[in-house]
Amino acid sequence: MKATARPIGALLVAILFLAPLSFLVTGGLREPGLLPAGGFPLLPERVTLDAYERAFALVPLGRQLVNSLIVAAIAVPLSVLVASWAGFAMMLLPRRHRRLAVGSSLVLLMVPLAALWLPRFVLFRAVGAIDTYIPLIAPALLGMSPFYVLLFYWSYRRVPRDLFDAGRLEGLGAYGLWRRVAAPLVRPTTFAVAALAFVTTWGNFIDPVLFVNDPDLATLPLGLRSLAALGPTSFPVLLAAALVATLPAALAFAAVQRRFLQSTREAGWLGR
Amino acid sequence: MRSERWLLAPYALGGLVLLAIPAAATFAVAFLELDLLAPAEWAGIDNFRALLEDPIFREALVNSLTFAALAVPLRLLGALGLALLLHERFRGAGAARTAAYLPSVVPDIAYALLWLFLVNPLFGPINAALGLAGLPQPGWLTTGAGAMATIVLMSGFTIGEGFVVALAARQELPKELYELARVEGAGVLHTLRRVTLPLMAPTLTLLAVRDLAFSLQVSFIPAYLLTDGGPDRATLFLPLYAFDVGFEQFRYGYAAAMTLTLFAITAVLVGVQLWVVRRWRFDAGA
Repeated sequence: MKATARPIGALLVAILFLAPLSFLVTGGLREPGLLPAGGFPLLPERVTLDAYERAFALVPLGRQLVNSLIVAAIAVPLSVLVASWAGFAMMLLPRRHRRLAVGSSLVLLMVPLAALWLPRFVLFRAVGAIDTYIPLIAPALLGMSPFYVLLFYWSYRRVPRDLFDAGRLEGLGAYGLWRRVAAPLVRPTTFAVAALAFVTTWGNFIDPVLFVNDPDLATLPLGLRSLAALGPTSFPVLLAAALVATLPAALAFAAVQRRFLQSTREAGWLGR
Repeated sequence: MRSERWLLAPYALGGLVLLAIPAAATFAVAFLELDLLAPAEWAGIDNFRALLEDPIFREALVNSLTFAALAVPLRLLGALGLALLLHERFRGAGAARTAAYLPSVVPDIAYALLWLFLVNPLFGPINAALGLAGLPQPGWLTTGAGAMATIVLMSGFTIGEGFVVALAARQELPKELYELARVEGAGVLHTLRRVTLPLMAPTLTLLAVRDLAFSLQVSFIPAYLLTDGGPDRATLFLPLYAFDVGFEQFRYGYAAAMTLTLFAITAVLVGVQLWVVRRWRFDAGA
């Protein structure tokens, strides 16, 4: 490939993927209400924050932002820990048990979410967890998704076995091996899974719809839904709220993206 | 060493209580006549027989398969293409990686609201741009094909997860291999077909499996928020129909039969996928 082809390709990629998002940024800067039809609405004629004011007045977005942050602050570290432990333990298991663990994780990955809604509802109601954050945090107990456990498992498998054998000779147990040897070597995977888990938790829509009716506990996606139901025609207000809901996820991603996205051949992240 | 069991315990317990047992319960309910009004009754395969005769289920099934057939190749090729383009360090590569990942961090509902605006026929920018270019301006969400195209298109931008995994897999391939291929005079396409793709096959297979399951199941949210299955049920996907039947009509047994069918279809398609990849790798001599 010619030397200039790749930078041009990269530029086109950046334009293509940022183009839809640019309207998320500019859309909320217009005056609330109906938009002028037919025009090309990239930049508003008059920049105003009225749409944000209106969005926060119609729906308690601030409160919901805090609620979402509480849920993410508990669920994300927990799921990273559980997935990292499970992936590491799976690697240490004897061959037959390991195949069983990997195989059942793959099968569980295929279970339709729709098959889980009702039984989980029955379960959460039985333990009195409806209208608490427990149903929103609970998926962290299985590492958010078997997929993340498998990502960790594959990362640990790339670490040379000698390192673990050496650690064992020094008398480290599984937890010690994980903490001292394994976890530091797969940091890029850890950051990638943390980012994925944050995005999943932050955008979680169906769980709060099913399990949280108390408006005081509502998370941001519920707020966006009620806003959409209130005024479907005022796009500036909707897009303003959508940006409010997106920014924390974008900031979290920006904070860790260097650690897993910008590495070349970094050890551990499915690498050596 | 026994202590590794303790590290596995939370996941095993969580997987059992929140995934395996609920799934098993749903699959058992699929063989019951269970709704809000009457006590549960054994129904055998009646629910599945009813599914066969349900024209709406057939539509939803076709819609789900159509969506997967369009979205999975688009998303996989997108993730692979991005990984092959951006795996080296060069000017702009880092920024392009970030940009390509960014749509994937937008919460589903915010993303749906954004696309509701983008494809709006009156003041949406997509039709405005098409109009400026003198192209026809389709009514995206008002026709069946347009609504399906919108949801497929939306899904094509949120490929961050697949991109990161494919990127890591590509970076893992030894440089020496490519030098060797160049010395032997292999062209770009030949190297791609004979070196890169076979070596990336395990990762790509995993991504394909993940994406197929994802496409059959998670198409729920855009359809629920954007089109409500419409127009005329053109984007009524299986999970959305199961949600309607289970949580709006409270016909639990019937909804469970539907999700069990969805699981079976996913498993069969994944099996076919694995089989094809295995044969292809064999052909490629990997």
